Amino acid sequence: MEKVLLKKDLNSWAGKLGSYDIYAPFKSGDVWGYELMENQAEITLDYPNTAIPPKKILFPQREVLFEFEATQEGGMEIREVLPDDTPKIIFGVRSCDARGLAKLGKISQGGIEDVYFTRRRNQTVIAGLACHNPPSPYCFCTSVGGSPHSLEGMDILMTDLGDAYYLESVTEEGVKLMGSAEGIVTDPDDKQKADKEKIHSDSEKKILLDISDMEKINEALSEIFDTGLWDRESLSCLRCGICTFSCPVCHCFDVNDEIIRTHPLKGKRVRTWDNCQFPDFTMHSSGHNPRSDKASRLRQRVMHKFRYFNENCEEFLCTGCGRCIEKCPVGIDIVEVLEKAKTYEK
Amino acid sequence: MKNEYIPKPARIISVKEEVDGQRAIKTFRTQFLEPDGFSYRCGQCAMLSVFGKGESMISISSAPHITDYLQFSVLKTGRVTTALHDLEKDDVIGIRGPYGNGFPVEDWKGKNLVFVGGGIGLAPLWSIVHTAIENKDEYGDVMLIYGARSSNDIVYKDELDGLKKKMTIHLSVDNEEPDWKEFVGFVPQNVMDKKPSPENAIAITCGPPVMIKFTIQSLNELGFNDDQIYTTVENKMKCGIGKCGRCNIGEHYVCKHGPVYSWEKLKTMPQEY
Repeated sequence: MEKVLLKKDLNSWAGKLGSYDIYAPFKSGDVWGYELMENQAEITLDYPNTAIPPKKILFPQREVLFEFEATQEGGMEIREVLPDDTPKIIFGVRSCDARGLAKLGKISQGGIEDVYFTRRRNQTVIAGLACHNPPSPYCFCTSVGGSPHSLEGMDILMTDLGDAYYLESVTEEGVKLMGSAEGIVTDPDDKQKADKEKIHSDSEKKILLDISDMEKINEALSEIFDTGLWDRESLSCLRCGICTFSCPVCHCFDVNDEIIRTHPLKGKRVRTWDNCQFPDFTMHSSGHNPRSDKASRLRQRVMHKFRYFNENCEEFLCTGCGRCIEKCPVGIDIVEVLEKAKTYEK
Repeated sequence: MKNEYIPKPARIISVKEEVDGQRAIKTFRTQFLEPDGFSYRCGQCAMLSVFGKGESMISISSAPHITDYLQFSVLKTGRVTTALHDLEKDDVIGIRGPYGNGFPVEDWKGKNLVFVGGGIGLAPLWSIVHTAIENKDEYGDVMLIYGARSSNDIVYKDELDGLKKKMTIHLSVDNEEPDWKEFVGFVPQNVMDKKPSPENAIAITCGPPVMIKFTIQSLNELGFNDDQIYTTVENKMKCGIGKCGRCNIGEHYVCKHGPVYSWEKLKTMPQEY
């Protein structure tokens, strides 16, 4: 289904979606982030991209998995804590981040299913937004199989035509959601169709970073596991973890129990984001650490994204959003590392 | 939809102190509070919860044919294992799993089995040792070469004495002790001393990384090919289902694809274990 929605009608459409929790980009200070909108009239899609990707909506930074409490009879009561089942819409998701959600889905739902992610994903509709211009000079979506208007992970793709949005449904859920805009939207005319196509093809040409020969990267990386490249590239790493924190597909987590000291047998099991750049991420309780230095940890991050995940799922675990490059306080640049990996002389 | 993160409460029905002191080891036998369809293969692990402290991945040391309890032998090392050691009979823990690939026991039918263990490394081997003895007709000769730092550090002491009638057992300690009549030296040296034959044999080794490394050298020297040698790997784990991202060795998640690897396979993998 393809429709056109005048920009001035975006909020009246959102107003018809009262049964959903609506998440949209929201500017706080200088920073854009996804927020649960209290007021539908505040939705604006005139933004570059958010600092933190929308993964936090489906995979929160901290979530309770279950609660436990010792019973009078000497047993243990365990109460599963599932996410609430209010349907959600996320507006304005960029193509890189929608692909990120699709990749997270492959990890969470492949093999033994992650109930918490699946439950949230199944009740969430993604109404994404194509990029005219790359939100960041570090964007490289086209190098990793994506594009500024990729449909992967989207339910609806919106393209900004200036005074209106061009809406394309991608899934049945998208069709359903667009159905709710009946009476507000119109059928696109030929000019609008042509404009949308032109915006899409122009947007691809505006991406500044281009990594060549990505089909050979798996092999190139396999040959430089034990080389000095990793020492050199990781030398300045501060182990701050912003690269994984801001990544739309990084999904490593920790699991811990939270209790009140006075009631040690009553508490919560909690999952929180974790980070492969932290030294104790892999440290055994004996003190032995399989990835004990910065070099092996940077290597893990790069190898996981461009080699290991590729081996298991035949795609990269990177969407080219560029956040890790933009936000790294010491200038570690994953694109540069890949370029060096390709040409590294042992 | 089954929620894999929810453990099932289980009662500790017995606690046996195997080793005391600095490197304390205790063996726990547990029963689920409610009947559970928990079935597993030799060499698999389970995620144990000490409620309020967290979870730890522990190998199941009872054999699958034993159905009235699950057994875990635990070295007191970190937060969760220390808390486990503080628990007593009738206390409740949580169990989820089983996880991992386990030993390829079907492929080993008709073969001689040589077990080489060190310290707590006997625990992951214990289920397959018992399974091989229980199903004697299905396997060839079974030999155990096992060592610990000192006689105090040997686990399953009483059981080992009883098993000597059923299989060949060679024990060792690292240093001389007054009443010690068996081998003195490291486990890989004892392997060279006892010279198990590689003929129609599989060697399975588990113990500290350095012991495994030199044991494999000894076995190679005795003529064992890399595909005749198996070992188990441990890495830090949080989920058990290949999602939390920390136990991987290259593209392999130890919790899911491991912990059992042939040396032929493991030696091609990055040394991140």
